[in-house]
Amino acid sequence: MLDTLVAGLRSLLPHDSVITDPVRLRTYECDGLTYHRATPGVVVLPGTAEQVARVVRLCNDFGVPFVARGSGTGLSGGALPREDGVLIVTSKMRRILEIDLDDHRAVVEPGVTNLAITEAVRDRGYYYAPDPSSQQVCSIGGNVAENSGGAHCLKYGFTVNHVEACEIVTPDGDLVTLDRMDPGYDLLGAFVGSEGTLGIATKITVRLSRAPQTVTTVLAAFESIEQGGQAVSAIIGAGIVPAAIEMMDALAIEAAEAAVACRYPEGAGAVLIVELDGPQAEVERQFAQLTEICSGAFELRVAADPAERAAIWKGRKSAFAAVGRISPAYIVQDGVVPRTSLPSVLAAIDRLSAEHGIRVANVFHAGDGNLHPLVLFDDAEPGAGERAEVVSGAILDLCIEHGGSITGEHGVGVDKSRYMPRMFSEADLDTMQLVRCAFDPRGLSNPGKVFPTPRLCGEAPGVRKGVHPLVESGKAEQF
Amino acid sequence: MDPKLINDCVHCGFCLPTCPTYTLWGEEMDSPRGRIHLMKQHVEGTPITPEMAGHFDACLGCMACVTACPSGVQYDRLIEQTRVEVEREHVRDPQERAVRGIVFSLFPYPRRLRLLRPGMRLAERMAPFLTRVHPGLGAMAALAPHVERRQRLPRVVRARGERRGVVGMLTGCVQGEFFPQVNAATARVLALEGCDVIIPPGQGCCGALSVHSGRDDQARRLARRTVRTFEQAGVDTVVVNAAGCGSSMKEYAELLGREPGFKVRDLSEFLTELGPVAKRHPLPLTVAYHDACHLAHAQGVRAQPRELLMGIPDLDLREIPESAICCGSAGTYNIFQPQAARDLGDRKAEMVGTTGAELLVSANPGCTMQIAAAMRRAGAEIRVAHTAQVLDASLRGVGL
Amino acid sequence: MLGSEVGSDAGVTVREAGADDAVSGVEPRWVALPETVEEIAAVLRACAERDLAVVPAGGGTKLHWAPPPERCDVLLDMCCMNEILEHAAGDLVVRAQAGVTMDALAAVLAGKGQELALDVPFAEDTTVGGTLAAATAGPRAFRYGIARDLLIGITVVLPDGTVARSGGRVVKNVAGYDLGKLFTGSYGTLGVIAEATFRLHPLAPDRRWVVAQLDRDELPPIAAALAASQAEPSAAEMDWADPGGPLTLAVLVEGGAAESRAEVVRGLVGRGSVTDAPPSWWGLISNDEVLVEVRFPATGTRAVLDAVAGTGLSLRGSALSGRVVLESWGAIGEPELAAAVSGLRERVEAAGGRVNVLACPYESVDRWGQVSGLPLMRRVKEQFDPGRRMSPGRFVGGI
Repeated sequence: MLDTLVAGLRSLLPHDSVITDPVRLRTYECDGLTYHRATPGVVVLPGTAEQVARVVRLCNDFGVPFVARGSGTGLSGGALPREDGVLIVTSKMRRILEIDLDDHRAVVEPGVTNLAITEAVRDRGYYYAPDPSSQQVCSIGGNVAENSGGAHCLKYGFTVNHVEACEIVTPDGDLVTLDRMDPGYDLLGAFVGSEGTLGIATKITVRLSRAPQTVTTVLAAFESIEQGGQAVSAIIGAGIVPAAIEMMDALAIEAAEAAVACRYPEGAGAVLIVELDGPQAEVERQFAQLTEICSGAFELRVAADPAERAAIWKGRKSAFAAVGRISPAYIVQDGVVPRTSLPSVLAAIDRLSAEHGIRVANVFHAGDGNLHPLVLFDDAEPGAGERAEVVSGAILDLCIEHGGSITGEHGVGVDKSRYMPRMFSEADLDTMQLVRCAFDPRGLSNPGKVFPTPRLCGEAPGVRKGVHPLVESGKAEQF
Repeated sequence: MDPKLINDCVHCGFCLPTCPTYTLWGEEMDSPRGRIHLMKQHVEGTPITPEMAGHFDACLGCMACVTACPSGVQYDRLIEQTRVEVEREHVRDPQERAVRGIVFSLFPYPRRLRLLRPGMRLAERMAPFLTRVHPGLGAMAALAPHVERRQRLPRVVRARGERRGVVGMLTGCVQGEFFPQVNAATARVLALEGCDVIIPPGQGCCGALSVHSGRDDQARRLARRTVRTFEQAGVDTVVVNAAGCGSSMKEYAELLGREPGFKVRDLSEFLTELGPVAKRHPLPLTVAYHDACHLAHAQGVRAQPRELLMGIPDLDLREIPESAICCGSAGTYNIFQPQAARDLGDRKAEMVGTTGAELLVSANPGCTMQIAAAMRRAGAEIRVAHTAQVLDASLRGVGL
Repeated sequence: MLGSEVGSDAGVTVREAGADDAVSGVEPRWVALPETVEEIAAVLRACAERDLAVVPAGGGTKLHWAPPPERCDVLLDMCCMNEILEHAAGDLVVRAQAGVTMDALAAVLAGKGQELALDVPFAEDTTVGGTLAAATAGPRAFRYGIARDLLIGITVVLPDGTVARSGGRVVKNVAGYDLGKLFTGSYGTLGVIAEATFRLHPLAPDRRWVVAQLDRDELPPIAAALAASQAEPSAAEMDWADPGGPLTLAVLVEGGAAESRAEVVRGLVGRGSVTDAPPSWWGLISNDEVLVEVRFPATGTRAVLDAVAGTGLSLRGSALSGRVVLESWGAIGEPELAAAVSGLRERVEAAGGRVNVLACPYESVDRWGQVSGLPLMRRVKEQFDPGRRMSPGRFVGGI
């Protein structure tokens, strides 16, 4: 069937935009999460929204599933291809279509990188606020699919708070515009963060923010994680909302040091990066409060200029990939706990780590309790991978126990779908799937992601018996 | 291809936006991450297919990805190893083989290049014809510089004023034959800053072109000869003004398995370490500085040339947007991959155009040739110079 | 019938409805007063079994806004769901039942120096659930967003009695679909909002308002300057009671250095007085028998003001976030209003904006105009409420 589909795709797209060579196809077998792999049946690289729509309609004609992919940097396997499906890559759709500073907005194609938007307006005093660590490479289409956050979402919110409108190709292949201004259900809000299961964004209008008058970045080094955690609570307790509060533990600092020579204070058990921004007079007041709160730090550095600020951030921003320097393999988790639970959760992670003989480096957005434990292991050592998986899963259980979430910004994808029933009841998941059924009744748009089990649309919730028809027909996989 | 080096890659994709071919085509296979994936496929048993070889060949070797990589993947070593493997295993089509043959029997040999010099004007006129034979030959001809009168450099140029050091100087093959004025300027600047400059005669190619194209044996032969020449000259520092040569020479220890008896320094690196002494005369010019990949990415030398240029009174230095992206010249790339090279050149020319600069400065003649040619295509002329020439003009108080 | 069955089975208080319980003129038969999520579910299950139509109601402040329901058997009065379940001050999070009034919530939060940064109208009576269902916006939307931006978790009860949650108690959370966004602004047509969790902000240590009278023509450049200002105003509200005359602009600055920043703002406005209390009309809706919402991009400000000037309606709303509401002070007849709305819509849409009639006693007025996502919205409704029993006919496209 794929052969006939490929012939159809070739008639819709330029010759070099349809990839079928097996060696080439394999380079698309995974996104930023290499643990899950599947060679796509065929890869297409459309150049326009209309081409995306036509490809999706063709997939509908053949009943073939499709998966959208941007830069392939996702960390939950959200863009894991289907061997029996089409991978729609938006990396050729990367024009900034319009910048309108009077309206504080930019209109871009989905393949434009997050940072490219900021770079296009920076010299005029504006920026695009959400800043995931992969911002120089991750695409805005991917950001919309995952509702990406970033270090500064503590104060400024997530992708969903900065997207004004999306033109999407629905799973049926229709081009529809969802605009924040439109009356009716907030379909835009539901679409952002739906991980490609409700369609593909082909044009995105984002809000541009005015650069703050002043930015003060402070690096505080503490002897222990506990002291760092207390400082975080004290900052929030004082009524300060910093632009960002990030924390790294000793192991994460070691990795960053090895990778980018970030020169964080030696001997630190934890470093805290606190960024204050806003009108100068406010920042000065808050800075005075902050230095008092951080009096327990053994070293306090304040960035005097953009270069020093970049130097402080460099270690933090490269932390994930940098862990490659101190461990052959690792799993990065993305759990969230209420900020006040941080100390007890971190202590519990410590115990898990000791118990299983698996090192865990901690990098996290402390301001909003978003943990990124990096579970380190040697994939050459038999059984290490499994032990790491156990620790990793136990960390998510801890997050759920404390009233948190299994994912703060990486998305559920294929990786965490099996944890969804631990966080949500069957009724919760069935209700979410109603939205899926409204958008994608045939289950063709990125199937197998987000939800542990597919739901056959039209079936009454809670009366599932026997093998699911989609599983039986091979259209879906049961976890 | 070393599987350990391949496994260093965690597939994060941070290299993608810095890769010139990914910038052009947006395809995974033509990104560093994709190429490493292809290497992995090969290591795991997939033979080198023509498609695979094509993606390796399309890599410019600009090393921007090495700078961008947070995991410290040694892509430079990987692609060099891969190129050796491609040369050994992959049978290219006859026409491609012929062009590669011409280049590798010509460029690394200054004397053969010298024979070519009178033909440069002719080559320019023949360019359209050559393009029809092979686009690579056409590209080679179109880039041909107007060669100035050859200046024979003395074996030693003595320091002016107080002597602060003794250095060797590499004349290089392309630089020496096509841009003799750059070498002359380099020697003068070094002398004016108080260095005795030793220029051993009979130096040949340092081996860079061969290393970058997977011609391992030729590379080692040429490197050994260069090491011998400078060791015999008895200098402890060799100053290099061509980015590609400098980056290869800094890696001699790895190529040859032993440390050479001298340090290698890029001219700008050496001069900033030495510190300025000679008087700078004003040069009222608007200058765009272009980062040559082999200087910025391979050697990490970015700040020094800017510092030197900003030290010249009245000189207005402008930054080029997307400065980390290669101009497409990349040694022999514009000969082997003419279309991609041309597209990248056009892109770079557009960026240079936005600076409004009247002079384009770079440490690599290949880059400036490439960008100037692209700007000419777009109907915009820009003067070009090597960092050494700008400094030379300022130090001597003459115009440029 | 329902009263006795549900009342005895689940212990839900149900009473006979009276004329005061009418929803836009449609009188329900019963009023149910659930006290727990389970009781809401029991009522909805009972209604499902008997195909009874349900309209949920909070404080009733905006119940007359939407068109009359096609049918209404049970009014689900959420007044007894009035418990603040958890205020985790250290986490800047609050979880409350849908029937809690916004004023009651604010009082509790203020006790710990925090607030839910939504200053909605009718705060004394309006509830958490009603605020969400109608997606009411306040002056500070420019800085803090609207209800959907501050909502981080929700518990809803579907028309068949299914209780479902999405989101959670943490601000940062992308697990699963965000049902909260879908239910915010859904006007009770998808199900019943039972509980909500919000992210909070610390109360600003100090506040200043810069108040000035401006001519209509002066406003657009000042609004643009304020939006681009690094003095970071939290809100800038216009009050233009008589579109024949000048308008009043009040700009709010919040923070420890509010005093000095207010001076910067006054410089941008060009004149005005600085006060530490809001003007009396701040964030209020005075007269909502007819209420027209206009949304527009910043560049459309002038066109919107020009268009409004011709309608005879008064204007109040944000000069920064592109959302104003128009009120009618005198009586306005059906054909006059229909003409005013269609004329306004034509000019506002040409400027990239939208006109939505939030409240209006007339049937012939086109409340919403064209909506691109309407077919998808119908499909969402069909999935959540296939029996069309939740506030039927009260929303876009007759949903």
